[in-house]
Amino acid sequence: MKRLSVYLLIGLFFMLLQTTVLPRLLPSSLLPNLLLILVLYLALSESFTRAILLALLFGLLQDCFSSTTLGLYGVVNLVIFFQVRLLVTRLSAESPALLLLLVAGGTLVQTFLVGFFLTLFAEAGSVLQVLLPALPGQLLVNLLAGTILLGLLLVLQPQFGARSGMAGLPHQSRYHGS
Amino acid sequence: MGDFFKRHRILVLAVVLLVGSLLLYSYNLRHKGATTFFERSVISLSAPLQKAVDVFTEEVGLLWTNYLWLVDARQQNRRLLEKNRELQGELVALSEVRLENQRLRRLLDFVDTIERPALPARIVAEDVSSWARTIVIDKGDESGLREGMPVVVAEGVVGRVIKTASYSARVLLITDASSAVAALIQRTRTRGVARGLGGNLSLDYASREDDLQVGDLLVTSGMGGVFPKGLVIGKVVLAEQGKFGLFQQVEIEPSTDFSHLEEVLVLLDEETGQ
Repeated sequence: MKRLSVYLLIGLFFMLLQTTVLPRLLPSSLLPNLLLILVLYLALSESFTRAILLALLFGLLQDCFSSTTLGLYGVVNLVIFFQVRLLVTRLSAESPALLLLLVAGGTLVQTFLVGFFLTLFAEAGSVLQVLLPALPGQLLVNLLAGTILLGLLLVLQPQFGARSGMAGLPHQSRYHGS
Repeated sequence: MGDFFKRHRILVLAVVLLVGSLLLYSYNLRHKGATTFFERSVISLSAPLQKAVDVFTEEVGLLWTNYLWLVDARQQNRRLLEKNRELQGELVALSEVRLENQRLRRLLDFVDTIERPALPARIVAEDVSSWARTIVIDKGDESGLREGMPVVVAEGVVGRVIKTASYSARVLLITDASSAVAALIQRTRTRGVARGLGGNLSLDYASREDDLQVGDLLVTSGMGGVFPKGLVIGKVVLAEQGKFGLFQQVEIEPSTDFSHLEEVLVLLDEETGQ
């Protein structure tokens, strides 16, 4: 319960950062998707039930904080979550580069799914004309944000000692794969 | 049966959540105009936080620009810098007040030119997605805002309200890809639909026989029932008549500078003033 609350607070903090602080510093096309990185981290390192519920909740929150129809990012986050869980059994989960690889893949999959759902179901006009040109910048900025967050995590985790490790770090989480 | 659910607990949970999310998305797509209880609660709870963080960030920004970057100069001449810092702070504050005064005066002048009652609002947050173009304003249901109300500034059209909560509302900007505004070219009276392209807009369905030129002004046509007639949307920056087809390709630069928006006007209903 305590860890769940911590993740919720982190999610809310990321959301506030993305909606109020970062738009003052960066152009809107170069805003990192911090919640996507959090969902990927959860999919890698948390228990299945906790991670899937948080991924869905963060997706619904993201819908509330953007102009999308409620449920869109919920579905997208769940699909990304399942893909990560399936993929991670076939990869070396102890490699630090794994999270960054997943951030790159997650960004591509998220853009594709959002474009797919909006084009097919929501009659969102020329949304692909906006999504596709912005993809390279979004990819780079997400990778940069992922690198910074991974660095922070490596520094902060031993300080608090709440976890033995996470996928992508030297010590594999005991929750991974359950 | 019980054993099956016990053994496949995770799979059942995954399927239930995925199908549930798809159903939720599908249901909300069909009821797009309405703000759900969940959305309303999240927006209501987060709006004060967003406002607080926004004000805090602004203060930190002012602190940084007004004080911290002067550290080198302070080492050179401490006393002079201290005096200079105070004056600088006052000047910036005064300048900020003067600029705000100018903006509000322009908004007030603009209010006199439109027939509908208007409510000023402050922008407190932007869209969480990098590709969508929406903003959050600090007025909501309690101030009489409803979904669909037009939002404008003195320079032109900003967008329309798509979600409301008690003390805040989300506005879809005209540059968003899902935005479409009935419009006409002021000089030639060519009708079309102005669609968002992220930064600029395109004017769809403009007849290729009309002689559109760069610099022509695009205004709202009043059709569609959202925006009153005659509000400025932008000006033509590209008009290409292809060899084939019924329509020409027209690109519009919005007259509103969306990157520097701070205050906006919401046009309320004519009869009720709400």
